[in-house]
Amino acid sequence: MKTITFDVKKRNQIALEFDEIIPDTIYTWEAEDFDKYAVPVGNSRFPLTDFFDITVEGTADSPADVKMVFNGDCGRVKYIGNKMSAGEIIVNGDADLHAGAEMSGGKMTVMGNVEAHAGREMSGGELEIYGNTKEFTGASYIGEWRGMTGGKITVHGNVGKQCGECLTGGHIHVLGDCDILAGIHMTKGVIEIDGNVNRWPGGQMKNGNIIIHGKLGRLLEGFVEEDIVTDPQIDGEIYKGRYISFKGDIALNGKGHLYLDAEKNRDKLSAWKETDDEYISLGENRKYR
Amino acid sequence: MEYILKNGIVYDPANEVNGEKKDVYFKDGKIVEDVSSAAKVIDVTDKIVMPAGVDTHAHIAGPKLVLGRLYRPEDSRRGVTQKTKVERGESGFSIPSCPTTGYRYSRMGYGTVCEAAMPPLEAKHTHEEIGIIPNIDVNPLTLFGNNWIVMELAKEGDIDGLAAFISAWLKITKGYGVKIVNPCGSEAWGWGMNVHGYNDSAPYFDVSSKEVVRALAKANEKLGLPHSIHIHPNDLGHPGNTPTTLETLDSLKDIVKSTKKSASVRDQTVHCCHMHFHSYSGTNWRNAGSGAPEVAKFMNHCKYATGDVGQVTFDETTTMTADAPMEYDLYRLSGLKWVNADIECETAAGIIPCIYSKKAPVSALQWGIGMELFLLIDNPWQINLTTDHPNAGPFTRYPRIISWLMSAPKRNQMIESHEIHKWAEKRTMVASIDREYDFYDIATITRAANAKIHGFHDRGNLSVGSNADIAVYDINPNDFDPSKNPDAVERAFSRAKYTIKDGQIMVKDGEIVSTKPSHVIWSNVKGMEEQEKDIIDKVMPFFKQYYSVKWENYKVHDHFLSNPIRVDVE
Repeated sequence: MKTITFDVKKRNQIALEFDEIIPDTIYTWEAEDFDKYAVPVGNSRFPLTDFFDITVEGTADSPADVKMVFNGDCGRVKYIGNKMSAGEIIVNGDADLHAGAEMSGGKMTVMGNVEAHAGREMSGGELEIYGNTKEFTGASYIGEWRGMTGGKITVHGNVGKQCGECLTGGHIHVLGDCDILAGIHMTKGVIEIDGNVNRWPGGQMKNGNIIIHGKLGRLLEGFVEEDIVTDPQIDGEIYKGRYISFKGDIALNGKGHLYLDAEKNRDKLSAWKETDDEYISLGENRKYR
Repeated sequence: MEYILKNGIVYDPANEVNGEKKDVYFKDGKIVEDVSSAAKVIDVTDKIVMPAGVDTHAHIAGPKLVLGRLYRPEDSRRGVTQKTKVERGESGFSIPSCPTTGYRYSRMGYGTVCEAAMPPLEAKHTHEEIGIIPNIDVNPLTLFGNNWIVMELAKEGDIDGLAAFISAWLKITKGYGVKIVNPCGSEAWGWGMNVHGYNDSAPYFDVSSKEVVRALAKANEKLGLPHSIHIHPNDLGHPGNTPTTLETLDSLKDIVKSTKKSASVRDQTVHCCHMHFHSYSGTNWRNAGSGAPEVAKFMNHCKYATGDVGQVTFDETTTMTADAPMEYDLYRLSGLKWVNADIECETAAGIIPCIYSKKAPVSALQWGIGMELFLLIDNPWQINLTTDHPNAGPFTRYPRIISWLMSAPKRNQMIESHEIHKWAEKRTMVASIDREYDFYDIATITRAANAKIHGFHDRGNLSVGSNADIAVYDINPNDFDPSKNPDAVERAFSRAKYTIKDGQIMVKDGEIVSTKPSHVIWSNVKGMEEQEKDIIDKVMPFFKQYYSVKWENYKVHDHFLSNPIRVDVE
């Protein structure tokens, strides 16, 4: 096992680009290799040691043996863990744009907040964020219609807009709240949100599943009520509780599913009857089923 | 500055030089007969020397490129490089940035590229973009096929008026020639329709594409422009469009080529672009097949027409054309994001990403049809190598197409190993054709014929007095079998050993070593001033009524042009 520790010396105004420093490229590097390396900053390069104190311990035969630890505020370090396929990265602080983007394996943990595009176009591996993230978490690149295809993203805080845009596989779990348009254009995969959701999840979705345990602000018109389900099994996993299931987005003839917590989202049912602890949906929309 | 390119093996089809070992001399940007003893010697012993490439048909500048770049940011992140001391940073694959376009053409040994569609209203912007593209000369063709005034004049049969209109509008837009895209079809798209076949009429104007094309061809020959009409016929990309293509070409057989000196370089009276898109048989995509043998048979018996192929290269690319209804049809097929634009009173345009996959039956069929056109049309002077950049593939794939053309085993291996879908084998006859191009043929279809078709006398050849536009490739043709080494051919043509433009060394060992601003080439018809004034006076009420710009802002003023080269037509 090789542990490489990056202690932040100073926070640079212009962002550093770290797409070349991933376990796949540096597992053979020694301390002197890091001393020689110049990191891209804006349109030029500067010695990496200007920004970090680097210590290397142990040896590694493959990228999987590498553990990279960042101590301090990496809020101006972009592309941490970009395209990594194995190994482990721990950031004890914040991270900038594109953290864990296009990663295909390994594990990355960020203890602080992350800027936009976290876990963009992931195809495998695990990304865990203990703080909040901004827009496009687990989304596709701007303009791209093929998004995250595999792996798992867990965000313990809140996420911004368009989380899981164009999702074509994988699992996104948000423990906090979520802003608008989660899972827009998604075709496959699962988005699970424990907190409240602002508005419009699943816009133009064709397939896949969105599960919302909290309260939803507003639903899109393209979702039709299907049924009330208890403990649904989605992609082999059982989600405890009672949910209102919607199908959508019918604007695109979509076959995706949106599950809303039945207790907190009573207002989303077109009609509602309560007998003892039994909820029965009497929605007008049921005729579309 | 004087130079000698020493001991190269020269292919210069325009002068019928086929692989002769000889020296090429150039001085102050021109090829000369001899130089003084002070000349700098560049040793190119046993390397291929050709004139720099000329691209007959590509879309490299203009508002649709900008729209494409805005619309496909995911394309821009492909092929990104950092800037160097000479180059700016590169970006983009199918729609590269303007500087990238110049660098990549230069690296392949190209010197001149035709921007094939410039709407008059957007001409200013096209020229601004050409100004940023380095290292290559660009001749933009102005769009006329769906212009309201052209349609009115064609309906009246007023060829003199049309000639004056073309002459005036080439001056206004600083264009080089007449481009026709889906005549009447793009206009019909403004009404939510398309024209089907050559004799269909545009709504409201009640004029058929046949009348428009014939009128423009006659007017073009009346003026004696250096290039013939450059036509993208109706029904592009629709199964069963071969009859439309043949009808279009056949209807122009009685057009008499101009006897003027300016038109003397070319032989043809019509150039049909990206022919493979116009050579499908069948009635729908399920039973679609190849119409290439028919088209090739026609071309082999026809002396007045030339074409370029628009070969599919199996890439993820972006289609962009002034044929907006076709783009909508493509959207219906693929469901990908798309955009349309209307250029008021002149044309329409559309953009959609397109993925040509080796495993997709339609892409494999398209590939086969393109190859058939290359291999079945006997005279290389009649057919040019293009990919209709970026519609069928980016221009950076030209070397790969060259390797396919030079190696029958490579083509057969692709088909037999099922690397590409079986439709290429079952619905085309590529696998049964043994023809292989040699370096002389390659020089013809990438340089000599292209320059001739565009009416250039000073490029595409190594004659004394021509521009010193020269490409050197690191292959010794005397002890090298391209049929057995297609990959080596591709490598060599991708990275020229030297690219020389106007006597300046641009590329050395596949790397850009210097840059220079581009030139824009445009046609200036002389002696029509009276008629031009008359036609502008006639058009002015219409212009004021329908255009949203003022006449004063419509014209491309001289300061928009980057180093113009004016071609005077008497």
